[in-house]
Amino acid sequence: MSDNSVVVTKKKKKFKIFPLVNGLIFILISLAIMLPIWKVIIDSFDARSAYGFKWVPTMFTWGGYRAIVTRVALYRPFGISCIVTIAGTFLGLLLVTLGGYVLIQWEMPGRNFFAYMLLFTMIFDGGMIPKYLVMKQLHLLNTLWSVILPLSINVYNLVLMRNFFEGIPEALFEAAKIDGCSPMGIFFKIVLPLSKAALASIGLMFAVQFWNDYTNFKIYINKDKLFNFQIKLRNMVMDSDIPNDDAVDPNTISSASVIVAILPFAIIYPFCQKYFVQGVNIGAVKE
Amino acid sequence: MPFVQNSSDISDAYSFMNIDAPVMWYLFMIAIIAAIILLVLKKDMFSIIPTAISAVIFVISLVAVNFRGYYGRNKYDIYSLTNLLSSGNGSDDAKYVLGLGVYVLIVGYILAIAGCFIDIMKYFKKDLGVDSRYLSNSINKSVWKTMYYYRGFYIMFLPVLIMIILFNYWPMAGCRYAFTKYVIAGPYYVGLKHFVQMFTNDLYFWTAFRNTLILSIIKLILNTGAAVIISLLLNEIVSLGFKKTVQTIVYLPHFMSWVVVASVFKMILDPNATGVVNSLLLKANMINEPIYFLGDSKYWRGTFYVMNVWKDTGWGTILFLATLSGISPDLYEAAQIDGANRWKRLIYITLPALANTIITVFILNLAKVMNLFESVFVTMNNAVLDVAEVLQTYVYRKTFSSGNSDYGYTTAVGLFKSFVGMILVLSCNYASKKVRGRGIV
Repeated sequence: MSDNSVVVTKKKKKFKIFPLVNGLIFILISLAIMLPIWKVIIDSFDARSAYGFKWVPTMFTWGGYRAIVTRVALYRPFGISCIVTIAGTFLGLLLVTLGGYVLIQWEMPGRNFFAYMLLFTMIFDGGMIPKYLVMKQLHLLNTLWSVILPLSINVYNLVLMRNFFEGIPEALFEAAKIDGCSPMGIFFKIVLPLSKAALASIGLMFAVQFWNDYTNFKIYINKDKLFNFQIKLRNMVMDSDIPNDDAVDPNTISSASVIVAILPFAIIYPFCQKYFVQGVNIGAVKE
Repeated sequence: MPFVQNSSDISDAYSFMNIDAPVMWYLFMIAIIAAIILLVLKKDMFSIIPTAISAVIFVISLVAVNFRGYYGRNKYDIYSLTNLLSSGNGSDDAKYVLGLGVYVLIVGYILAIAGCFIDIMKYFKKDLGVDSRYLSNSINKSVWKTMYYYRGFYIMFLPVLIMIILFNYWPMAGCRYAFTKYVIAGPYYVGLKHFVQMFTNDLYFWTAFRNTLILSIIKLILNTGAAVIISLLLNEIVSLGFKKTVQTIVYLPHFMSWVVVASVFKMILDPNATGVVNSLLLKANMINEPIYFLGDSKYWRGTFYVMNVWKDTGWGTILFLATLSGISPDLYEAAQIDGANRWKRLIYITLPALANTIITVFILNLAKVMNLFESVFVTMNNAVLDVAEVLQTYVYRKTFSSGNSDYGYTTAVGLFKSFVGMILVLSCNYASKKVRGRGIV
């Protein structure tokens, strides 16, 4: 950032056309991203969603959102999404920290074998149908476990966690060992407190993954009762499977549902942007 | 017609296969596992032997199973090798020529196993190899004592191990269904029938394969290109507040699921009810009747690319921005003193510094080319199957949406997909090691 300020202050005598054009370009880009969302927001408040674009709703209504809160066909999927996201994120973080900590024990017999086992899953994938058949054999089909368990063991995130752990100075472990700390004690008293940022980053990655999960629900679950919000949303928008409501326009309900599906991370994200970005950078730079 | 199965064939295959083929299969698996164990024990040279044995077993079972069992002993004179490889000389109604796919599969299989093992050997030697300085502490301890010291860690790893075996390795073993006819009563072996049928007789498969490559590679090029341009421009913004705001906005679509993105685009591109784009185009008299962006084969791919760029470009800029902020300002200053304008500085300083990152991002994403599924699945419909169908959606539709699902066949398609994916990952890994000195996996 400092390099830019240096560059620009030196050119002060000339009229600067480039920064102006550049700013304009980014205003256009931002508009291109925000306008579709704005259109959906307006539609979600508009009882008469009509052809064309409006800046403000013509007939303001809370009907769409009220439908989501009051109708069981809509609030149950939302609840399912919340349950799966919370449970899955915790389970995922647990597995990732345990696995990551074991993988930095270089002297442990079998450590390389475990590392290779994890590595191979990134190279070769069983495929959709064998996974489905395994779920069937485990009698997990049509239970929420079938969508929580397979996503919670994420080898990529585990390797990220391992890299975070590896960044912790060796001397800390040595010192703790000399002071008589057990390996578990080191894990709970030194490793975990030092990797709060990593836990936040990877936890957010897990949460996004579980909240946005569509594929696993589509494959493993075919009971209406257990559908999550993404499945419900897709059925509403693409197949017009919208609960009947005389008072509210169907399009208003589906627009409101889109907004509700975006909302959790739209609220969290601006405050946690640092952690999200951190996760990406560490993944590429220190894999 | 080759590979048309009638009832007598089934009974023949069933009776023959149930005796011989599973034995072959288990021999094959034992050889492979032995190879892997030897490799893990760092007996690199010896592991070649079981690998070769497994390949031989594979070929034998291929010959025995596919021709003798499946078509019956009396139909063809299969004991002569020349007959086997050219065409049947038995009954005239079923002239059989061995498809090219079989050869490709055999050669690819051997290459992949060899390549995989060579790769793993390198991996063990370089990245994960136990450094001698770590060994110095435990050199006098026996393995059992060390294992006892680390007993807690084995328990810690147990949950991960169980999950990995259940959800990654068990499905891999499930790939054997690709070589069977899957019936509930008990799958029976049919050899390479599914693969031969897939390569020679299934147009949908080839369409899906071509679409997978086209969609994901063009998507990758467009996304990377757009991300590079945007990060270059973003880097030129002076005002810090403006830059932060823009970044927050362009990152935002990344957190929306594909369902949400597809829904938003469906709403704004809708031809009749709420579509903004169509109403604007109609008002401007650029078109006479509304365009079905998501329901017309002509427009679907374009729309798909636009959605991809809209969703992921912003997020893709993160790595490029990190690289750009690492370029020393001294370089720019020196160039400016030498009289280089903005364009020259871009060509001679920024782009060379960025080149490595661009290649890295490209390689990282090239390895994921075959995994295209959700983005296509939520945006496609039956009207655009010819341009939108990819391998994964083909597998899904053929298994779960059709009345008579053939798990064996779709597993074979999935196995082919995983296989190509594996080759891609390994070659990208190799390329990555060449370019930046370390692998991606």
